[in-house]
Amino acid sequence: MIKKILNSGALGTLVIALGFVILGLGTSIHRTTDFIIFCIFVIGFDLLYGHMGRLSFGHMLFYGSGAYAAGLLVRYGPPNPYLAILIGICAGALVGGILAPVIVRATGACFALVNLAFNQVGYFLALVAFAKFTAGEDGLSLTFSVIPFFNLTNPKVFFGFSLFCLVLTYYFMKILTSSPYGILLRTIKENETRAQFLGYNTFIYKWITFILSSSISAFAGALSTINYSYVNPSFIDPTRNVEVIFAALIGGTGSLYGAILGGVSYMLISNYLARYIPRWEMFLGIALLILVFKFREGIWGSIRGEWKSRVEG
Amino acid sequence: MISTLIYGLTIGGILYIISIGLSLTFGSMRIVNFAHGMIYTTGAYILVAVLPLLKCNFVEGVLIAILVVIPLSFVIEKYIIRRLYGESIDYAIIATYAVLLIGVDLVKWIWGTSPIPLSDPVGRSVTCFSVTVPAYRIIIIVISLMICIGLWLFFKKTIVGKIVIAGLQDREAVRSLGINVDKYFSIVFVLGSCLAALGGVLYAPITTVHPYMGFHILLISFAVVIVGGLGNLKGTTIAAFVLGMVMALTGRFWGPAAEAMVFAVMAVVLIFRPIEV
Repeated sequence: MIKKILNSGALGTLVIALGFVILGLGTSIHRTTDFIIFCIFVIGFDLLYGHMGRLSFGHMLFYGSGAYAAGLLVRYGPPNPYLAILIGICAGALVGGILAPVIVRATGACFALVNLAFNQVGYFLALVAFAKFTAGEDGLSLTFSVIPFFNLTNPKVFFGFSLFCLVLTYYFMKILTSSPYGILLRTIKENETRAQFLGYNTFIYKWITFILSSSISAFAGALSTINYSYVNPSFIDPTRNVEVIFAALIGGTGSLYGAILGGVSYMLISNYLARYIPRWEMFLGIALLILVFKFREGIWGSIRGEWKSRVEG
Repeated sequence: MISTLIYGLTIGGILYIISIGLSLTFGSMRIVNFAHGMIYTTGAYILVAVLPLLKCNFVEGVLIAILVVIPLSFVIEKYIIRRLYGESIDYAIIATYAVLLIGVDLVKWIWGTSPIPLSDPVGRSVTCFSVTVPAYRIIIIVISLMICIGLWLFFKKTIVGKIVIAGLQDREAVRSLGINVDKYFSIVFVLGSCLAALGGVLYAPITTVHPYMGFHILLISFAVVIVGGLGNLKGTTIAAFVLGMVMALTGRFWGPAAEAMVFAVMAVVLIFRPIEV
């Protein structure tokens, strides 16, 4: 019975939603919205890393292309936030779809590095090549139009909307990862040759997964643009990739709860603890080393391990 | 045109010096070593610190920088890289990236974030074919060619080099001959790190010395290693000089695009030649 409720995801949704509402009331709404958006990004990243076993070291590219697509639309077209989100997702899917045939052919180290290289190109495009449109280093500050009843410029409404988006992503991923498709993804993670041997065209599956992952990341990017109402090159900065990797690792890879826990943990650390840490990058580096050598299963992994040993023992 | 050619060869030489260490580390240990960028930065900063402090000349500064890097790379190899043998390659990437982050932050802590310019140590220029180029660039090209020949001799003629080449091809077979392959690989790691530091100090007078210098050059070196084939020394050599040329030619027309062009070339190569790792 408990298992059934746990598996249905309804309880999980409730816990996530309640947790964020409490966090929002306890801290500031704007900041918690940022947390939620980051969690969506971590989920998108973890679809590739946790579920398909491909570490991308350049996911800021997709986050940034979503953010910039939304920002450019609002600046030069209709300032409708909903349209901006839609265009952002499309941009992420497009960039992912074009680059995926090159990227997914590589595995392991090459996959990570090729992603990073493309991210660097994207950063260059946003910062220098298209500086006429993106305003280079300064970035674009944006004003969104006010839409009656669902006015996303209102922080409270936007908080609710982001939470809704997170739950939506959560359900989408839940369905996706428990479907035969999700099982195939894990097969690719464990042994791709075996999957090919069973007659699956793994290239197509990897391509589709890559597009899904980049779209979710771009979704987060577009939402983030609305939250900050500006977009600048830090949205696509390749040196920020380590943030999402850190979040995915600390939460525990390969599970949705892990991704959300990791996203929240990272944001809590970077928002509240960073004030007391004078050397932020060094802290990040040492923490990453500890995660890699001592704490691989992450927060959710150790909670689940504890739970299992309690139930069985 | 000739000055572009010289510039391309200079960058190619520097890229070669840096990439060969990365390629060796990957070929021998199957580890993508982000810490290489940290060694590179450290080398350049040690030079900057040592020059006014000891009032020595440039060559002595270079030697000191390389000597300082040896124990550092030995520690990294012993406590980080060696623990990652046989692990998932993703963990190796994350762990070495963490080392890079720590290194960058240490550099920022000690020397500050502002870029430090370094003057050309030679200062003279050479005129050939009615084009004037700084003599320092010619020296870099000569040094890189010397290293190229030196490494070739090392891998062909010395027993250590032969063991390493054999280990790259079949580690188990070499181990079954009773040779401690890991020891030789750690020698190679230190050698590669020395070369990274050398690349850092040689490149420092051409660009400026700043904490993130390792990150950019590392990305380009990765492109070199991927284009040349991971762990393929001959391929890395050719790719380094070709991509150096690409950078110089692109930079001639539009400076900021030079880096992006390298990655574009890499993408084209990847389309036509899928990589097996």
